[in-house]
This record gives sequence, structure tokens and C-alpha cells, in this order.
Amino acid sequence: MSYYDVMTGNKAIACGVKLARVKVIPIYPITPQTSISEYLAEFIANGELDAEYVHTEGEHSAMAVAIGASISGSRVFTSTSSQGLAYMHECVAQAPGFRAPIVMAVANRRVGSIWSLGSDYTDVMPETNLGWIVYFVESNQEALDTLIQLYRIAEDSRVLLPSMLNMDGFYLSFSYERVNVPDQETVDNFLPEYRPKYAVNPLISKVYPNVFPPPPEGLTAYSRMYEELFEQAKKVIYEIENEFYNVFGRKYGGLVECYQLDDAEYALITVGSMSTAAKRAVDRLRLEGFKAGLLRIRVYRPLPLNKLRKYLDNVKCIGIVDRSVNHGTNRGPIFCDTKATLYGGSEKKIYNFISGLGGEDISIEDFLNMFKILAKEDTSCEVYYFEHPIPKQDKRITPSEIPDGEKRLIFSGGEGCPGCTIPILMRYTLETLGQNVVFSFPPHCAGISFSCGVLNVPYYIANFAAGAAYATGTYRTYKIKKVADKIISAVWAGDGGTYDIGFQSLSAAAERNESILFICYDNEAYMNTGVQRSGATPYGAYTTTTPVGKIWKGKGERRKDMPLIMSMHRIPYIATGAPSHTNDVKVKIGKAKDTVLNQRGLAYLHLLKPCPTGWFFETSKSIEVSRLAVLTGMWPLYEIEYGKLRVTYKPSKLKPVKDYLSIQGRYKHLTDKEIDMIQNDVNKYWNMLLELEKLEKLPWYL
Amino acid sequence: MAEKESKAFVLGGLNVGGWYVGDWRTQKPIIDYGKCVKCWICENFCPEIAITKSENGPQIDLRFCKGCGICANECPVKAIEMVEEFRR
Ligand SMILES: Cc1ncc(C[n+]2csc(CCOP(=O)(O)OP(=O)(O)O)c2C)c(N)n1
Ligand code: SF4
Ligand code: SF4
Repeated sequence: MSYYDVMTGNKAIACGVKLARVKVIPIYPITPQTSISEYLAEFIANGELDAEYVHTEGEHSAMAVAIGASISGSRVFTSTSSQGLAYMHECVAQAPGFRAPIVMAVANRRVGSIWSLGSDYTDVMPETNLGWIVYFVESNQEALDTLIQLYRIAEDSRVLLPSMLNMDGFYLSFSYERVNVPDQETVDNFLPEYRPKYAVNPLISKVYPNVFPPPPEGLTAYSRMYEELFEQAKKVIYEIENEFYNVFGRKYGGLVECYQLDDAEYALITVGSMSTAAKRAVDRLRLEGFKAGLLRIRVYRPLPLNKLRKYLDNVKCIGIVDRSVNHGTNRGPIFCDTKATLYGGSEKKIYNFISGLGGEDISIEDFLNMFKILAKEDTSCEVYYFEHPIPKQDKRITPSEIPDGEKRLIFSGGEGCPGCTIPILMRYTLETLGQNVVFSFPPHCAGISFSCGVLNVPYYIANFAAGAAYATGTYRTYKIKKVADKIISAVWAGDGGTYDIGFQSLSAAAERNESILFICYDNEAYMNTGVQRSGATPYGAYTTTTPVGKIWKGKGERRKDMPLIMSMHRIPYIATGAPSHTNDVKVKIGKAKDTVLNQRGLAYLHLLKPCPTGWFFETSKSIEVSRLAVLTGMWPLYEIEYGKLRVTYKPSKLKPVKDYLSIQGRYKHLTDKEIDMIQNDVNKYWNMLLELEKLEKLPWYL
Repeated sequence: MAEKESKAFVLGGLNVGGWYVGDWRTQKPIIDYGKCVKCWICENFCPEIAITKSENGPQIDLRFCKGCGICANECPVKAIEMVEEFRR
């Protein structure tokens, strides 16, 4: 039975994926898409969806897994936002060549240059010309309905194109709306199982999709033929929407939705959720007798050329609203496309309204003002920016208001959760390093805690996958300027920025033995995005993407051993530390500092960071948990100096791991058997460390 | 002639300082100075750097204390008690 529920756009998408019986879901969390990855993990953990979930180490791999799964014959879904889409770009570009009918939901969010969590289309616009079908939806219901249709469209043998469903981050992804969820059987009838004609599968066929070498016709001809697919797609889109309407009773207008356009003299062109506010502006103006109208572009690729020409033919003046700028043209991308389309048709004035970047709200008032500009029919200016300055927050503390303020390197008043141990570790670090340190910050909780300005040393936002590479750049500069013995190029990374997405650049910097200080603070999951599994998450731990359900019982794999992996790079200094053991960790930070300033190579510090929010313990227990991690052997304290391993803290007898596990909610589902297994692991590991300590040098240091 | 610098340049290091995060608190630490032995453990572990040393013992800056309770949990002589904040 179909049912109504009140849900976010992200939940609507996840429900659509479930109904579409998607088989492979490679996915990586990023705000504001994250909860899609969490809902899907939950469905699978509970046995509600029978699919392979791949916790990739980054978006580049997420899209690569998606392509691999799709060309070998699976129905695939993935989803991302912002930086994630940008990081995926190379693989996004390759999917069309494979004619892989992947469906990807993008919860739109600004992509850096300047970072913001807010929604705009700077993320998707660079991806729109690669050969994907590109939809923008206005509501959560439309998101779900479109997702189901998209599999039909993408997989249609006349089309076979990857498809992207754009949904405004926050406005839809996290807003609750009433949504009708169709019943499974009806969807199954509408959307049969995916059976591709060509697949990479030597058991079935020797012919398979590939992207090299180019076809004999040449790539110009290929591009022309590829455009023909989009022409086919336009027909298929209408066909399938009609069929959907006949079965489910809902339709949205195919390529474009027209609102009060029949006799309109002044019209706006919009996409996505802003259209709702724009329609209310149209309603108000209509009451006043002003002939306003609106055209909402649903399908941006293929661009509905004919529809735009047809429906806008009688309009005198058109305003195109863009939530991104094609820098260097002083115009938005939708404007550029649409104006080019309308050129040569009937005479009309066309304006560009640029607004809503970085999540700034485009209000009904704004749309009314846009119509006012249209009504003036002024030909002297074509582009208008509707700007919304960020409201000033006046509760800031300045250094002069606290004792010794000017001398401090770290201030109170950061925005981390109560009980978060990041500022404790950062304080130890700064107290030891002093002020001549420059931090590369891949995105993480610390970035959020500190970004309001609580650090009085330089720190800049690096890309998630490239923390160590940014620091290499600053180090090399200081080196040629002969100040590398005075300034420390450091990376302050979370476990995600170390174990997973950040691993490649870290490993390469270690192999080149750059004299940088890499500090991994390990809270054993992606906490900034809301507790998703990482390569550091221990066996058995609950995270939102390794939930505990009928089938899954927390994370099923052991964590990677980063310090020992780093030792395989034969770098001069490696150490683990914990906030509860202040002197131990400060001594190690001091040794790391010496290593780097003497330019002996890369120093790697691995610091435990208990997280009350993500590990589910009381905020007052952060230090207690850290202490127990050390005392139970879950977090051994040791260092490796030029290959010589030394355990720096040896409890006379390790406490049982149960003492550590039982005070954390993330382990509360563990059975005695699992706890025994963990205990066994810890015993073995501890003994291994003691054995390694006996060696003069770890053998691989040669 | 000095050129006017474009504002399209986001600079770090200009706004050093933090927020008054004390209003996040639901409970606040009260120190019994009679019990305190001035070991400064609380000062070392306070994540908010809200505790400073003074002759009388630790001073808590309630403008920044988020009420996590770490100080009370770590104090070896239990000189700190967390009490509910009552606010209208
Ligand atoms: C390329 C890219 N993908 C995803 C993200 C979203 N993202 C920001 S922080 C974060 C998690 C950080 O986890 P971790 O490094 O473990 O640090 P923590 O937040 O746990 O302290 C993610 C997934 C991003 N900023 N960039
Ligand atoms: S309750 Fe937490 S934030 Fe407040 S003073 Fe104690 S340790 Fe610091
Ligand atoms: S931890 Fe307790 S005894 Fe030590 S300084 Fe703080 S209040 Fe005093």
C-alpha cells in the first residue's frame, strides 16, 4: 500500500532508492547529502533493502565503484554534494562514455573557492556539460517521483545515460514535507529489473562498454551522435512521465513547468525549490492585474530548447534567476544557455538575476523586485545581483577582553561540542610548538570548532584529500626562503583526512619525506558530518553508516593500523598519544617539532580523541575514556624514532577492555563473544608491541 | 597612489577570539575551595580553557564554560560539583 509520511528530501530520495531496488550503493558522506547515506545504511542493516553498500574512502572512488558496478550490470545509486561532486569530477566525466545509467542525487551546496554549507549551484554547474541528464526538482515529492522515473529514463535502451537529480541542500534535503510513498509492487511493475544489453561479464559476452579507443568515426562525430541521444531522451522523458502519471497520478510537466505563462508579459525562469517562492510572487502580482508568469526548468540537460522558444514566445521581458556565476562572463550559466537559445526568435528583453549564493535566501520580496525591474524594461543594464549580507553577530570576544589575551595562541569560545577533547589536544600542541606554526586544515570538526577565530596562529582550509599536500607546499616555500628551521608546516587532520580520503597525499608526502608535521586526531569516525564510519572505526562500533539492525551489528571490519602503516614509509618520527596522558603527549609533540625543524623528514602524531557525541558517553567522561583506552591497551602509547619502537606507557597489568567498551553507547550491542574477540585482539597487539620493542630497530627500517 | 584593495579577498587572522558559549550550559561547576588542593588538574583538562589559576584556586570563566563536567569528574578530591542551571 502506498502511504503518506512527513519526511525530508533526503529521506524521500532514500525511499525512492529502496523502491527502485537499487543493487549497489557506493557512497561517501558530505553535508547536506549525508542523511541519504545514513537512511540507506539503515535500510540495508535492517534487511529492508537487499543491496551492496560500499563505504568508499572518498567520492572519486564512489563514482568509480558506481561505474564499475553499472557496466557489469547492476542498478546503481550514489549521491553527493559540493566538494564531493567536485572531487568526483574525473569519474563523473567518464560515466557518460561508458553509457552507464547511474542515477546520482546531488543535494546542492556551494563548492569552494569560498566555503559555505549553504545551498547554491556552484557545485553542479561545472558538471552539467559532461553528458549527464540533469534534473532540478522543486519538492520532496517530486524528488522521490523523479528518482523512480530516472531509472526508467536512464536505463531505456534509446537513452542509456547517467542521470543527476539536483535537490537544493537544506531547502529540500533537510526540510520536512508531506510525501506519498508509492507501494513496492506498483513500482516493481513500473520499473522492471535492470537487464543491460552490454555488460562487462566474460561469462555472458565478449563485447562490453569501454571508453577507449575512440570510435572510427572520430570524436567530433561521436559528439554529434551523443547529442542525438539527448534528443531521444527528450521524447523518452515525456513518455515515461505520462506513464508514471497514469500509474501514480502525479506529473510535473516533463522538461519544463509553466506557471501562469499563457498570457504572461513578464516571466521569470527558475530552477529548483526557489520556484515555490517565485510562484507566490507571481500570484500576488496577478491579483494586482500584472501579467506575471514563470517557467521552471526541470530538465537542464537536455536543455529544452524548443519548449523554451515555444512557451516564452509571447513574453515581452524575461528574467533568468541564477544561483551561480560563470566567472569571467559576469552572467549565470542558466542565463547564458537560455539567452543563447532564445536568440533569433521574437524580440524580447532578457535579464539575469543573480542571487542566493551560499544559501542566501531568495525571498518572495526579491522575486517581486525582479518583476519590478522587468516592468521597467530598462535596456542599460542586463545583470542584477540581489545581495544579502550575513547578519552581524555581536557576541564575539576579542583578545583584549581576557587576561594576557594578546599572547594567547588559543582562545576560549570555540564551537565544538561540550566535552570535546580537540581543544585540549590543540592546546597541548600549541603550548609545545609555539607560535611559528601554520596549519593545513582538511575539513573536520576542528575546523568547525576553531573557525570562529579561536586560534591565534595561521590555519587555512585545505581540500579534504590534500591536507599533507597543502603543507608540502608551505614547507617547500619556507625551505627555499630558508625559514623552514623556524616555521612548522603542520597538518591537523581527523581520521577521515588521514586514513581514508587523505591517505594518498599523506602517504606520498611521507615517501618523499617532506619535513612536515602531520597530526591525526582520531575520533574513530567522520564526526563533522554526523558520525559515519571511517577506516579508523573499530570493529563492532555503531556509526550511522554501520548501524545495528537485523543484519548489520555495527562495523564488521577491524580498523587500519595507521601508525604502523606510516612506519612502513620509514619516516623519522611516529608517536601515539592521548589527552589523558598530558606529559607523554607533550614530550612526543616536542620530539616531532625537533624532527621537523631540523628538516629530518615527516613526523606523524596519532592522537586519540574521545568524542562524547559520536561514541555516546557523558560529556564529563572524555578524559576518563581516554585514560581507560590507554589502561586497557585499546590505545597503546608508543613512539617509533628512526625505526626504534618504544612503548612509552606500560600499565603493570592491562585492565579488561570491557571497562572501556561498556561506558560507550556505540558498543552497547556487543555480545560477550564479540567482546572476547576484541580482548583477544588487544592482547595479541599488546604482546606484538612488546616484541617489537625488543628489536633494535623495526626490520623494515633496513 | 595607494590602490584600493578589492574586498573579494577573504583574510584569516583578522578576527581572533571566540564566542560567548557559556549560554550552551545546562549545568555549572561550583568549586569548594575548602576542599581544593590546587593540583590544577581541572585547569589542564578543561576543553574550553575556561579555568585559570589564581591564588585562591581555580577560577572558572562562566562566559565560556559549556558545563561539560570534565573538571568535576577529574578532580581528585571531588572539590567540584556540577549543579543544574536554572534559567527562565
Ligand atoms: C571531498 C570532500 N568530501 C566530503 C566532505 C565532507 N566532509 C567534511 S568533514 C567530513 C568528515 C571529517 O571526518 P574526520 O576527518 O574523521 O574528522 P572529524 O570530523 O571526525 O573530526 C566530511 C565527510 C568534504 N568536505 N570534502
Ligand atoms: S564544566 Fe567543562 S567547560 Fe566548564 S569549567 Fe569544567 S571542564 Fe571547563
Ligand atoms: S582539580 Fe580539584 S583539587 Fe585540583 S585544582 Fe581543580 S578543583 Fe582544585
